[in-house]
Amino acid sequence: MTDDGLTLRLPSSVIRPSFQMNYPSILLSIQVTFFATIGILFIGLALALFLARTPMRGKIIVETLINLPLVLPPTVVGYFLLIVLGRDGITRWLGVNLLFTWQAAVIAAIVVAMPLMVQSAKAAIASVDPNLENAARTLGSTELEIIWRVTLPLARRGILAGLVLGSARALGEFGATLMVAGNIPGITQTAPLAIYDAVQAGRLGDANVLVLMLTVLSFLCLFAVNRMQQQKMKDER
Amino acid sequence: MEKMLSVDVEKHLGDFTLHAQFEIGSQVLVLFGPSGAGKSLTLNCIAGLVSPDDGVIRLGERTLFDYDAHLNLPARERRIGYVFQNYALFPHLTVRENIAFGIRNVSNMRQRVDEMLKLVGLSEFSARHPSQLSGGQQQRVALARALAPRPELLLLDEPFSALDAPTRMELRRELQTLQREFKIPMVFVTHDLGEAYFLADQLAVIHAGKILQLGAPGEILRRPCCLPVARAIGVKNILSGIVESRDANGCRVRLGDAVIDAPLYPFDVETRVSVCIRPERVMLLRPERAGRSSDENAMHGEIVREMSDGMTATLFFRASTARLAATQDYDLQIELPVYIYERLDLARQRQWTVSLRKNAIHLIES
Repeated sequence: MTDDGLTLRLPSSVIRPSFQMNYPSILLSIQVTFFATIGILFIGLALALFLARTPMRGKIIVETLINLPLVLPPTVVGYFLLIVLGRDGITRWLGVNLLFTWQAAVIAAIVVAMPLMVQSAKAAIASVDPNLENAARTLGSTELEIIWRVTLPLARRGILAGLVLGSARALGEFGATLMVAGNIPGITQTAPLAIYDAVQAGRLGDANVLVLMLTVLSFLCLFAVNRMQQQKMKDER
Repeated sequence: MEKMLSVDVEKHLGDFTLHAQFEIGSQVLVLFGPSGAGKSLTLNCIAGLVSPDDGVIRLGERTLFDYDAHLNLPARERRIGYVFQNYALFPHLTVRENIAFGIRNVSNMRQRVDEMLKLVGLSEFSARHPSQLSGGQQQRVALARALAPRPELLLLDEPFSALDAPTRMELRRELQTLQREFKIPMVFVTHDLGEAYFLADQLAVIHAGKILQLGAPGEILRRPCCLPVARAIGVKNILSGIVESRDANGCRVRLGDAVIDAPLYPFDVETRVSVCIRPERVMLLRPERAGRSSDENAMHGEIVREMSDGMTATLFFRASTARLAATQDYDLQIELPVYIYERLDLARQRQWTVSLRKNAIHLIES
């Protein structure tokens, strides 16, 4: 925003912020995050249980794969998802084109949020005293009953923290979503994408509400997670 | 019909090999031995938490494990109660919920839990969580929880080791009462000799993965079969000797410079033996009594060192004329109560005659 190439002058809409609600993108974000959270919960929990309790040689490879989205550039993640969801991937298998739909946004959100959920849940599950599980075995519980009655209740804090963190990440997903779901206003334009659009076009007023909302939500999520960790440390003492 | 537990298993863990073999009825078998001997591993094999590499485990008419028949009942079907060293109570459940955990039949669950609570004296604590209980109370909950589903066998892995001495005594007595009431076999693991002696109907001394001796506790204490057992059960005096002669009354054994009269053992002359003498069986003779010919294996000497834990005094005695053990600065360790130490004024009276009664001497072939 310079006029002579040297001085930076901020546009008026930032100095005097205007707030306009972009309802479609907010609703879309809520929808995508909601379904992504369900996916993160079930898939993440299953993976965490598997990684924490099953002895397997190649476990570290599986773990590394799950954690990849944490360090890969979002566009690389998006690229891989394009292949999987695209014409020659799942689409052929399912008979439905998932690209550029809100469902693709959900999938992208799940993939990038998974490492956060799995790390936290796995650590919590692994920290449950194996003697407790052994005691349950001698008292007649099946392995599933043990997971349901002993392991998960004792690991609930770590699981919840992972879920909250994952949801926050899902809410903020941008790069991969852009590639597989597109940026179609009203259909796949989630809040983060809408912010990008608005800033590009100089419509800072549009961006303001969304930025504020996402910031507050993310802050609350992180705050909650930190509180849970604090609580856990207090309990352990 | 008495429920018999029959165990004969082998388990390899790296360099370590466990071979456990025993059979008991509705009694208490104590597995006694040092850390790392394989006691907990044995319990885990019986409970089904660990799979042995060979062997058979039977409980009553049921076979729990049979390697050759590819039979390995999972832990949940063995109907065995297990009390863990660190209690392993479920921290997120109340006392009542903990005890009820293994009860499958919902109809009389409440009644059964109430029964167990009364049995261990914790009826007012049913709504508490384990973290709100003392160590002794937690262990009682663990016992109640293990017994609530009416198991056919009870396994206990050093359950009282983390408790203070008075609580341990209390719980030992309570456990004995429970065993007599429930009439099921119990296998109890401990490294505390006093506890082992108190609780055991049968005592198994386990060392480096093998059961070295199995029998009545009194018998093992008096006649250990080999050196590791002797050391484990508190024989502080183990001296090397050679059988010099043997007749109908007993053996004469040369120990260092001395010759002592030992009971009759089926050892030939010239056999190398280890002479075992418990420290509390060495008698100090009052000066006015010393010199009587009826005193067995009398020897003169002095006390060169001593130790005390407040209740028991340990004296280190060195023979003046005929040494028994040339390698150490003393020949015999003697243990006696502190009040006798004070009564005999042992702090100042250092010259003594000691007597080794014949029946206090036990020989093991080297």
